[in-house]
Amino acid sequence: MSYKPDRHDWMAYLYGELEGAEKEKMEQYLLSDPHARKELEQYQQLRKMMDTVEDKEVIAPPIVLSDNRQRFIWNTPAVRMVASIAASLLIIILVGKLTGTQVSMSGNEFRLSFGDVQKTEDVQPATPGLSASDVQNMINESLNQNNIAMQTSWKETQQKLDASVRSNLAANSGKIDKLVKEASNASQEQIRQFVSTLQNENTEVVKNYFQLSATEQKKYIENLLVDFAKYLQQQRSDDLQLVQTQLKALEQNTDMFKQETEQILTSIITTVNGAEVKETKY
Amino acid sequence: MAETLLDIAMMHSETVIARAKQGDQNAQGKLVQLWYKRIYNFSYKFFMDHDLAMEVSQKTFISMCRNLAGLQDIARFKSWLYKIAVNYCREEARKKKGSRSLSFDVVWNREAEDSPKWESSSQRYANPESQYQQAELSDILQQALYELSEEQREVVIMKEYEGLKFREIAEVLNISENTVKSRMYYGLDGLKKILERKNITKDTIGYEL
Repeated sequence: MSYKPDRHDWMAYLYGELEGAEKEKMEQYLLSDPHARKELEQYQQLRKMMDTVEDKEVIAPPIVLSDNRQRFIWNTPAVRMVASIAASLLIIILVGKLTGTQVSMSGNEFRLSFGDVQKTEDVQPATPGLSASDVQNMINESLNQNNIAMQTSWKETQQKLDASVRSNLAANSGKIDKLVKEASNASQEQIRQFVSTLQNENTEVVKNYFQLSATEQKKYIENLLVDFAKYLQQQRSDDLQLVQTQLKALEQNTDMFKQETEQILTSIITTVNGAEVKETKY
Repeated sequence: MAETLLDIAMMHSETVIARAKQGDQNAQGKLVQLWYKRIYNFSYKFFMDHDLAMEVSQKTFISMCRNLAGLQDIARFKSWLYKIAVNYCREEARKKKGSRSLSFDVVWNREAEDSPKWESSSQRYANPESQYQQAELSDILQQALYELSEEQREVVIMKEYEGLKFREIAEVLNISENTVKSRMYYGLDGLKKILERKNITKDTIGYEL
């Protein structure tokens, strides 16, 4: 026996996944080889033993989902963050309450204090006197400085703006030129193409027309010629008939003429004969 | 494996899967109901440990509910689900190896002797006397299974107990069908040898089968 199943065939056969010719070959092999049959039996025995391991009953499914969904919700970072913020706020409030923290904002002053607020009197610092003109001078000076700074910055920005506008203009005009050129090139090309397509179409149309008309003319002329030939033939036959009838008429005439002359002759002969008789009677 | 109502329901669950895929929580719950026992038993045979099996099954179904929308082909649901389960089993096995480096015998003996679950589970049988031997044989077989390498164990469980086709197992493990058959072959061979070593043969247990 040439066929010898490999382990893949063995496994497939054991679990009923071998099909068609393969299965037949395997069965033939098993029939012919007692050793193989024993091997198969051993496998089947093993499977029977394995069958004694039964499924364990288990009930859990609904719990799994709901449990995990809950855990899932509590585990979300958003929930955790909100919870932690709430907790820290609570702590802050508690600590604040216990230590008597006071926070106050008045004017430009932010005050954070523990315990009671001690009222402090605002003491006006004794400032060295400044004359009005000094103040005026200071104001003027700072105004001037401001003005100068403003002007320089204004000029700078103007220059920058100019430069940028110029460069932009240059760049844009170049681009526009290019675009226009491209457009014109494109349009020339397009027109050429269009014209050529038009020409092609026209020639096509004319060609078709000519072909059509030529064939039609040909037909017409053919018809005409045929008609003409027919007409000529008719004419000829008509003429021939006419000639024949005239000839017949002529014949008849001559016949009549002959008869008439004969009659005349006979009459003449008879008259001549009568005269002779008369003469003889006399 | 005798067909139960559950098996029949599992075979005709395509509409349920389709609905679950669209996010229908009822359908997802139904799928869990249908498949939980299978996945649990698969992982139980893989670890021989109830807690780990529960852990893996729960993780598997959480992952199923989350990722079902991404399942391309409903017909492949079965192998897709087992793929998730196999991955979690491997993950847990890695963790187990890392955390507690107990030899298998230690774990097994402790479970066999101390675990109240073991006792309660054997009490469930109607006829303790005759079922005891059966249970004993099944325990020995389960232990023999556990002695196989992880690769062979996966394949043997999926083929023999979960009834997957070789093609489906190949899909689950992302390997060729022939590799699956080879692993199955060596797995069965290994089981035979282990049982012979334990002196379990046709003759010693013949009266039970």
